[in-house]
Formats: sequence, C-alpha cells, structure tokens
Amino acid sequence: MEALQYWMQGFSVATLPINLMFALIGCVLGTLIGVLPGLGPAAGTAILIPITFNLDPIGAIIMLAAIYYGAMYGGTITSVLVNVPGEAASVITCFDGYQMAKQGRGGPALGIAAIGSFVGGTFATFALMVVSLPLASFALRFGPPEVFALLVVGLSLVTGLAGRSLLAALIMTFFGLLLAMIGMDPVRGAPRFTFGVQDLYDGVGFVPVVMGLFGVGEILVSMEQPVLEVIKTKLSDLFPKRKEWGISSAAIGRGTIIGFFLGLIPGIGAIIPTFLAYVVEKKVSKHPEKFGTGVIEGVASPETANNSYANAAMVPLLTLGIPGSPTLAVLMGAFIIHGLTPGPFLFKERPDVVWGLIASLYLGNVILLILNLPLVGLWAKLLEIRYQYLYPGILLFCILGAYSLNQSVFDVTMMVLFGIVGYVFRKLDWPLAPAILALILGPMMERSLRTSLEMSGGDLFIFFQRPISAVLLILAAAILVTSAIRLMPMWARKESKN
Amino acid sequence: MKRKMFLGVLGLLGLFVFLTAAAAQDYPNKPIMLQVPYPAGGSTDVGARIVAAVAEKQFGQPVVVVNKPGAGGQLGWTELAKQKPDGYYLGMISMPHMLTAILDPERKSTFKAEDITPIISQALDPTTISVRPDSWKTMKELIDDAKKRPGQISAGIVGYLQDDEIGYLQFAEGAGVQLRLVYFDGAAPAITALLGKHVDVLFCTVGDNYNQWKAGKIRMLTIMDKERSKFYPDLQTTAELGYPTILSAATRGIGAPKGIPQPILKKIEDVFKKAMESKDHLDKLEGAAQPVKIMTGEEFNKYYWDSFNVAKKWVEYVRKK
Repeated sequence: MEALQYWMQGFSVATLPINLMFALIGCVLGTLIGVLPGLGPAAGTAILIPITFNLDPIGAIIMLAAIYYGAMYGGTITSVLVNVPGEAASVITCFDGYQMAKQGRGGPALGIAAIGSFVGGTFATFALMVVSLPLASFALRFGPPEVFALLVVGLSLVTGLAGRSLLAALIMTFFGLLLAMIGMDPVRGAPRFTFGVQDLYDGVGFVPVVMGLFGVGEILVSMEQPVLEVIKTKLSDLFPKRKEWGISSAAIGRGTIIGFFLGLIPGIGAIIPTFLAYVVEKKVSKHPEKFGTGVIEGVASPETANNSYANAAMVPLLTLGIPGSPTLAVLMGAFIIHGLTPGPFLFKERPDVVWGLIASLYLGNVILLILNLPLVGLWAKLLEIRYQYLYPGILLFCILGAYSLNQSVFDVTMMVLFGIVGYVFRKLDWPLAPAILALILGPMMERSLRTSLEMSGGDLFIFFQRPISAVLLILAAAILVTSAIRLMPMWARKESKN
Repeated sequence: MKRKMFLGVLGLLGLFVFLTAAAAQDYPNKPIMLQVPYPAGGSTDVGARIVAAVAEKQFGQPVVVVNKPGAGGQLGWTELAKQKPDGYYLGMISMPHMLTAILDPERKSTFKAEDITPIISQALDPTTISVRPDSWKTMKELIDDAKKRPGQISAGIVGYLQDDEIGYLQFAEGAGVQLRLVYFDGAAPAITALLGKHVDVLFCTVGDNYNQWKAGKIRMLTIMDKERSKFYPDLQTTAELGYPTILSAATRGIGAPKGIPQPILKKIEDVFKKAMESKDHLDKLEGAAQPVKIMTGEEFNKYYWDSFNVAKKWVEYVRKK
C-alpha cells in the first residue's frame, strides 16, 4: 500500500504543468542531440547542465533525464534515414533501418523504433519501481572478471553471426581490436602505435570511424550505381504491415528483457545491449540470412533494448549511486550539483524527487511517442530528396559532425580515410559490425582483463574460479564452435541444396 | 650618438610599457577560453563551469568552457602550453596528474612544468583510505593485518601515478606494508569494485567517496591531510594517527601558457579570486563535494613546485621498481 502512495506522490509531482513542460523541453533537446552526430548523449547532457542551475532540483532532474532518453531515441532517426548513427547506441540500427529506408520503408522503421522505445522504456521503468533494490545488489557481483567474460560473449555473438564467413568475421574482429589498441595504454598511460602523432594519443576516435565506415563508405558505393528513382513514401506506408506487427512485438519483447537486465549491470554502456538484441533476434529468426537487407525486427529489437537499457540503468544510479554509463555519470553530477545524493538514502530523504523522477520517466516515454510518431512522416519526407542533392548534404553533415566533436581537422581526415576503408570492405563483402563492436569494446576489454589479472596477481585462473565468469566464457566458446560448425563448407553446401 | 640611441631605447621601452599597460586596461576585449582537459561532466569540468559562470560577469566577457579530453589530460595540457600567452586561453590544471605526465618518460610529454604558469587553485581534495563497513575498523587493524599477509590484500587505485597511488606509496612506506594494487579508470568503477568485494581497500579522494560514505556504504579509515576535513569532521588525519609523511591530494586550479604580461596575469588572478570567494561559487562547489582551497601568486607557485618534487620522487621510485 505504501508503494501505491509513493506512486501517487510521484505522479502528482510529475504532472505539475511546469514539470511536464521541463520533460517536454528535455525530450525535444534530447532528440536534437541524438540527431546530430558527434554530439553524443553524455556531452550533450553535460553541456546543458548549466541551463538547469537556476531551476528547482526536481524540474532540473526531470529535464536532464528527459534529455538523456530523448537522445537515446533521437540517434535512431539519422541511422535510418542517412546511415549515420547519431550516437553509438544507434550503430546497429543502421544495418536494417537504412536498408528499409532505401526500399521506401523509412516510415515503418522509425515508427516501430518509436513504439519499441516506448514499450521498452515503460516496462523498464515499471520494473525499476518493483525490483530495483534486490536486483541492484546482485549487479555488484559483476567485477572486472565478469565484465571481461561478458564482453567476450558479446564479441563472439557478433562474430559468430556476422556474415557468411566466420574467417572474414574473425579478421574484422581482430581488425577492430587492433584499432582499439592504438593510443594510450589504459593503465600506465604510455602511448602505443601512435607513430608520434599526438592526435592518436587518445586512440582512434569512434565517431569518425563509424561515420566514415557507414556514412562516407555508403556514399562511395552508391556513387557507382546509376541514379535511383526518388523514393515515394505514401502516408499509408508509415506504419508496419500487418504481418510485421507479430514479428515486431516478439522482437520488442526480447529487446525489452535484454536491455533491462544489461541496464542493471554498471559499466556495460548502451552499445552492448543493442548489439546483443540484434544478434539474438538473428539467432531466433526463421530467415537469419535476410538480416541486413531491411527486416523490421532488426530495427525493433535493438531500438527497444536501447531505451529499455536507458531506463533500467537508472536502477544502479538511484539505488546504489553507481552510474552505469558516461551519460549517467553526467546525470549523477547534475544530481549532486542540485544537492541530491543518489543512493539508498535518496529514497528516504527525498522521496518526492525519486518518485517524481520515476513518474516523469513514464510520462517522458509517452511524450517521446507523441512527439515522434507524427514527425516520422516529416523525417521520411527527407528521403524524397534526390540522391544527387542528398549525398552532398549527408557528406557535409558527416564532416560537420566529425569536426564538431573536438574541433579537430584530424578527425575529419580519419573519417574520410575510414570511408575509403569502408568502401573496400563493402566491395569484399566483409562484415563491418564485428570491427565496430571490437573497436568499441576493445579498450573496456583490455582494461577489465588487466584489472582482473592485477586482482589475481597475474593468474589467468581467476576467470574460471569465479562462477559467473566461468559460465559466460563457456557460453562464448559454445557460440563460436556452433557458428564454426554451421559455416563449415560441407554444411554450408548442404544448406544451400536444401 | 650614444645619447640618441639611449633615448631611442628608452622611448621604445616606454612605448612597450605603455602598450602592455594599455593591453591590460583593454583586457579582456573578447571571449576568454577556459579549457578543460577532461570530458564534460567530470569534477574538473563541473568546477570549471561553475567558476566560469561567476567570473564572466566580472570580466564583462564570456568565459567559454571547452573540453579537450584525452590521454588522461595530457592532450589538453600539451595544447594549453602551446597557446599564445595573451590571457585569452586559460586551462584547468590538476596536480599531481599533470606533473606525473610530465615526469614519466613513458608518457613522452612534449611540454615541461615551467611551460605552464599556475594562476589560482580552486579545490584541494585530499586522498583518503576507505574500506567496506564489514571489514577493518581502524587504520591500525588494516596495517596489522597487512603486515601479516604482505601483498595479499587488494587495494583499488583510481589512476596510475595520480594522487591516489602517491598516497598509497607514502602509506606503504610510512606503515611498512605492501598491498596488491588494482588500477581503475576513474572513481566510479573503483568504488563499484569496493562495494562488490572485488577489492578490499580503496584509495581515492573526498570528492570521489563522500556520497557513498554519507549513504553508509563505506567506512573511512583516514584522510591524508594535516587538518581535518570539513566533510568528515570526525575522521582522523594521517598526521593525527602518527604518519605525518602520508600527505597526498588532488589539487585543481587554473593555469596559463607561460609568458602572460604581468598586468594581465594580475587581472585574471583578481577576477577569479573574487569569483571563487563568492558565496555562489562556494555553495555550488561544496554541493558537488569539492573542498574549496584558494591559493594564488607565490603561495600557489610554491605549492606547484613542491608537488613537482614530491611527484618526481615517486615517479622515479616506481620506475626503478
């Protein structure tokens, strides 16, 4: 009964007109941050913190939280429309989202993303209220060895399911890991493989590489093809087909669960849930070979996982005071500036803030849905622009995005360079996803590996002495072995005969 | 002939003095950049944004905070040292982080400690030793246990050769013990590892663990300072416990490329001092659990070089090992 009282209190706070307005402003700003490549959710939220200095704490927190999940959704739009992810968590959405857009089905892609985000976000918020405390303490058992094992699982999933050839996928994974090694040693800070170039001290920038491989690479490939007819999007095409609803709802369900559980573990980041959701979807699909050609569940599941993750990650933040991702660390900084300390005491000291925030997460998800469904038509209209006009625009957009990140010309050069690399890989038909994931996860993997070994005094057995990491590593091995068997030439021939 | 030359030199000198004075009068006539060598959202960034918002009202020109993160701050400081010393490009500096980056030959730093002029300090955040509430109750218990099993108890360090590790090295030397060091990338994962029982002891600053302490999740054993902290009035300092040589802190302040004309430097110092002493700034920084410490001029310069010598000792010690 007490819980119900808190709910009521929370909703009465969140539905105050002024707080509703803050949530709306936050959603709009967040969507904008998400749309602009380069400006990620963490940097965007941080830059907007000062504008909340003069607000009361509840309003400020509601607005910043809205910016946060708004950005998580906004990144989708450019992924689908121009194959340029607005933020890292939307990389995976490019694979099928953009293909759908090319077939004139950008509307359904964006529509299902909005609906999936809504479902995932709402469910995660609901679960946040019910199970937050016991689950949060379980998440603490994920130390560096467990995180390392989980990352190995993530990489083997993507590698095993990436393409027609396990070898090509493995090469791409190692290519990504090698790129990730460039820059400073994650512990001692000594530069490696930098060839004395100062700009490389901090590693190969993720955003320039992704924009290069996907955005620029795509444009280069398209330039070889004859100019396509303009894509016509009728309004009736804005919603998924009847048949797709069934597939999508199952995908949304799985995405919600994956996003939610990974959100509870601090330090996972927003990218792994989306990749995991995508590969799981591919694994359970009846037509895995169609993934990457524009299947709706390839958009629905990761987009759902994305927002489910974003809301679930509030659990360790609110209950333990542990921010699970860089963006949440920024959000926690904002809490503290406003005199609120995330952690169990916050529930006791300021229930109005905690439950007001939770209630506003519900409302925020509704606002995002209302905001984005009508706009889908508008966004999809962009696709009617002829390619010869659109491409220079996208290219300009990429250059601006790469430059604005650090005001660095070096980043722009990197992006162009990786555009050419991406073009070559496309021509070879080698999968880009494992390389990207390895580049993202590489530093985290190296760090957790080294931290684990520091913990054990250099003994590799630490990974097998701890039950969670042992199970995860066995799982990873099983994934790779089954993919190897499935892709063995003998079996592959048999499959194609059937 | 000599006279003419003398007059000419005098005239030039006079012109120079006049021009620099005029420049100071005129300063600032365009926005001032305040560079943060860390990503947006961290404690240095929060501190910079808070003071910039107050100082720009007094400068009458915007103080623009720009983030140049990378290489643990090294990219930003390298950039800062390269700028024109005209007072329009300032940067946040951290001790001992910046100094160990300069001193550790592995980091291949291209600038030296004298290339940066320390102007004013904003916060001095002492290193602390914390443990889980279900473990050692006092510093003595921890030391006794550590003596029994050298190298067995694991200790989380927030960053390689930063204040936390220097604090640990001083602790190891002063107490004659050895722990097993586990390095983390920042405070958040290190604290998570302590709570999750992946490490047993944590070396970090007040700003890092204050909130967890307030929530009753960790126990503090000591703070590496001569005076007690405002944030932990009941916590005994290392000096009180009989270890006066254990004295480490992360100190943040504002610096500039060397060679800024004295009148302009003075103006920057005055404006930021006034801004930092304002109630607005003090309240907001304290709210972010950052212990304010304002040092300027000779005092801050001495602190900078003292920190340099301490950092030098420990960098050399670690490299010899």
